[in-house]
Parts: sequence; structure tokens; C-alpha cells
Amino acid sequence: MSLKAYSRARAIHVMLVYTGGCNGCDIEIVNSILSPRFDAEQYKVFLTWNSRETDVLVVTGPVTHLNKDPLIKIYNAIPNPKLVVAAGSCALMGGVYKNIHGDIPSEEIEGPVENIIPVDAKIPGCSVRPQDVLSGVVSLLPKLLDAD
Amino acid sequence: MIEDKKPRKGQFIETEVPMGTVHPAALEPYRVRFFVEDEIIQEAEITIGVNHRGVERIMEGLPVEKANALTEKICGICSNIHTWNSVLVAEKGLNIDIPDRANYIRVIMGELERLHSHLLYLAHGCEVLGHETFSMRAFYIRETVMELLNMIGGNRVQYGVSLIGGVRPRCELNEMRIQKIEEGMDTLEKNLKNFSDRFIADPIVNSRIEGVGFLSLKQAKKLEVTGPCIRACGYEHDLRTEMKEYNDFDFDIITLDGCDVRSNLLVRALECFESIKIIRQAVKNLPNGPIVNRSWEMTDCDITKHYIEAPRGILYDSYALEDGRVRSSIIRTPSLTNIGATQYACIGNHITDGQLCIVQCDPCFTCTDRAFEIINL
Repeated sequence: MSLKAYSRARAIHVMLVYTGGCNGCDIEIVNSILSPRFDAEQYKVFLTWNSRETDVLVVTGPVTHLNKDPLIKIYNAIPNPKLVVAAGSCALMGGVYKNIHGDIPSEEIEGPVENIIPVDAKIPGCSVRPQDVLSGVVSLLPKLLDAD
Repeated sequence: MIEDKKPRKGQFIETEVPMGTVHPAALEPYRVRFFVEDEIIQEAEITIGVNHRGVERIMEGLPVEKANALTEKICGICSNIHTWNSVLVAEKGLNIDIPDRANYIRVIMGELERLHSHLLYLAHGCEVLGHETFSMRAFYIRETVMELLNMIGGNRVQYGVSLIGGVRPRCELNEMRIQKIEEGMDTLEKNLKNFSDRFIADPIVNSRIEGVGFLSLKQAKKLEVTGPCIRACGYEHDLRTEMKEYNDFDFDIITLDGCDVRSNLLVRALECFESIKIIRQAVKNLPNGPIVNRSWEMTDCDITKHYIEAPRGILYDSYALEDGRVRSSIIRTPSLTNIGATQYACIGNHITDGQLCIVQCDPCFTCTDRAFEIINL
């Protein structure tokens, strides 16, 4: 393991961006990183709200009209190497809000997240389970550590 | 404290501290503008509407079962209560009687959800006031409730328990589940008691929350504040006492007259014990029989309304049925009225307490962002 990868593995910062879901996924993600039951902080994964120090961006929600520009701004502000995780069925395919009427698209939803920013990992579930969030973030780590 | 804290007309406030829409201190996206003079907030303004998904509009014309499933996705914190109320509207409109056992299971789920919502509030409140240890403890206590919800509903957030005529078969309570609920309630009560004893006795926390975010009862009534927020102002009002679903249960209404962050936190902590009491009664007296009534017919009905006491206040649902499809649906969530109180509570406090004042009213902007127009207060 190179020195860069060694030091990166000891401070992984996860940023959560919420783009208009139902709040369920967000609480579960905060729960999985912060709360004592799942506690990803013991493996040196930290929750941050500063886009300049973020390594992994976790996006939830179907991306509503007004949230599209802030999401792109936040993505551009993150320094390389950066990874994006789309969590929850809303972020993966627009969720119930986009698809409940079948082929008639909803006017309010811009999502899924893939249409707006590149996505590296997808975590399914409505809402996501904390275990899935952890395994999703962990599966991305080699990509992050081996980057230049 | 001065009764009317609003600035005079024509008064010019120079400094503005804007926050949002994605801000470190706030989980949900909303925009708040603090107008500050000498670091004291003179006026606050909250703007929502960022996560407008048009739930009411996409409910229009859906089959009623599908619409009921959609109401659950309005909010990830009080998901069960939205479905429950939406189902109750259909049952009221179509005159459907539900079995007693189904009602008891719904009440158990409702109260478990109230527990999880209040504990989340306590955890979030402690985090915002800067005491992370209490926050962690509240999160840890909450896990017991989440496991019970997961066991009954099959999911940690979206349970989908109620359906027209009763509850889903997977939510049937057998002996094993009843025993687990009873054990869970014992653990919860013990942990919660330790937590609250410690919380009340802590001088550092008390100095931070006493007298902050003052909202007088007169103002609260004027702003139509509902739920635990108005009970923390000393007004005894709980819709559960009037609901026929809660007729069989014996519980107290908690009121405190501090009108500040401290009484808001304590009201929720004390309400948790009442919820535990209701769940114990429900589990003990659980009637036998079927859990779903399938013998009902779909007819057209006029616009039907129903009110229910959600963890954050009074929730209102109304729609009409036409050929089994939902028409003119309106949902009013408790946070819509509590946002007014949130703005008001900020005034007169130091800017560092601004976020705490917003959190004290437990606003859920995700629920509320379906309204087409917010009336200016």
C-alpha cells in the first residue's frame, strides 16, 4: 500500500446531499455512519458537510427542479478523486414520484441522479438499510485508494 | 419576555445572515434568513419549496389503494401515520368497519412510530445544542424501537401496515412478536428513564436550553401551533383523546408551561413514557379475531375529511372517490402551521441559538413541501 492510499484510508469523508426524497434514506445514512449501533466512524469514515473535503458523495432523492443546480455545484466543488453513491430507489430511477403514472413523466422530477452527475455505485432499497450503505461505500474504497 | 417580539413597521435591519439551501446544520433543504442586529435575531424568514414533488397532484386519478401506498412516501419519519390517515378517510367515506384486532395493531404501530419520531427529535436536538454524547445515547435507545418496527412492518422506514379494511397479513402479531414487544418496552423504559434523569440534572445542558426560543401561548394559539409544540406552551390539547381509535386506552396528556426549548424537549421525553403505556395496554388486551375486513364495496363518495394526531401535531387528509379513483386530494401536515412558530421563536435570541430555535418546533420540511402556496406570515 502506497503512502497516499495508506493516508487516504484513514480519513474518508462522506457528504450527504439530499435532493427531495422522503427523508427516510437520509436518516438511515446518518444513522449508519454516526449512530452507535452501526458506527462507521470506528473505521475512520466521517460524515462531513463541507464539499471541499469530501471523498464520497452520497446522493438521495429524485432530484427536484430546484435541487438540480445545487447538486451540480456541489459535485464540481469536490476535489479529485471523487466518488458518487446514489442511495435509495428515488436516486436510482426516480422512485415512486416519477414512475407511479407509468409512461407519463412527472413535471417536478429531474432525476434519476445518473442523468445529472456520473454515478459510481448504486444502493437499492426503499429506504436503504444501514448495512447496505456501509457495504456500498466500502465496495468503492479500492477505487478511491488506487486513484492518482 | 415581551409578548410581541416582531420589529416595528418601518424599522430597518441592516445585517442579514442567510443559510441554505444545503447547509451543514440542516439535514433537509430549506432557506432561512436571519435579520440580525448586535448578534440578536430581529426577524427570521423560512422559505421552503425546494423539494416539491407534487404528491397531491400525482395522487389525482390514482386507484385508492395505490394512492394510499403513495401517501406513505410523503415522509420518511412519520410514514405510518400518513397511510393510516389516508386509509381512515376511505373507511369513513365508504362506511367500512374494521376488526378490533386490526385497530389495536394500528395503534401499536402508531405509538411505536411516535416513540421513534420523538427519540429522533431528542437525538437531533441534543446534536444541535452541541452535546453529542446525549445525541448518541438517544440514537442508541431509538434502535430498540427501529428493530420492533422492522419486525412488525418488515422494513425500517416504510412499513405499509394499514390497508383499507384492516392491516396487512404480514403484520399479524403472534406470541413471539408480542413477547418481543414487551421485552423491548422494558428495555426502552429503563434506558429512557436513565437518559431523562441524566438530561434534566445536567447543568450545562440546562443553561443552554432554558429560556431559549420563547414562544408565548397567546402567539402559539394565534399561529395555530399543534402537537407537542402547543403542549409545551401549557395548552392541553391532544387529538388522541377525541379519536375513537384510542377509546380503549388510558393515558395522560403531558403539558409544561416553559414555552422554551427545554419544555419542548421534556414534553417529548415524557410523551415517550405515555406511548410505552399505550403499547403495553394494547399488547395486554389484544383481542382475538381476524385482522382484515374484506367484505366492502367500492362506491363513489363525496369529499371526506379526517384528522389524526401525528407525532408532530395534527394531520389532515381529505379526498373524494370516483370509480375507485382519488379526486381532489388535500393533505395538510402539522409542520405547515409549526413553521410560523419556528420563525417566531427565533426572534430575540442570539444568532448561535437560531438553529436550536428552528429545531425546537420539530419542523419536517419534507412533509410540508407539497403545498402549492405558503401564506406569508
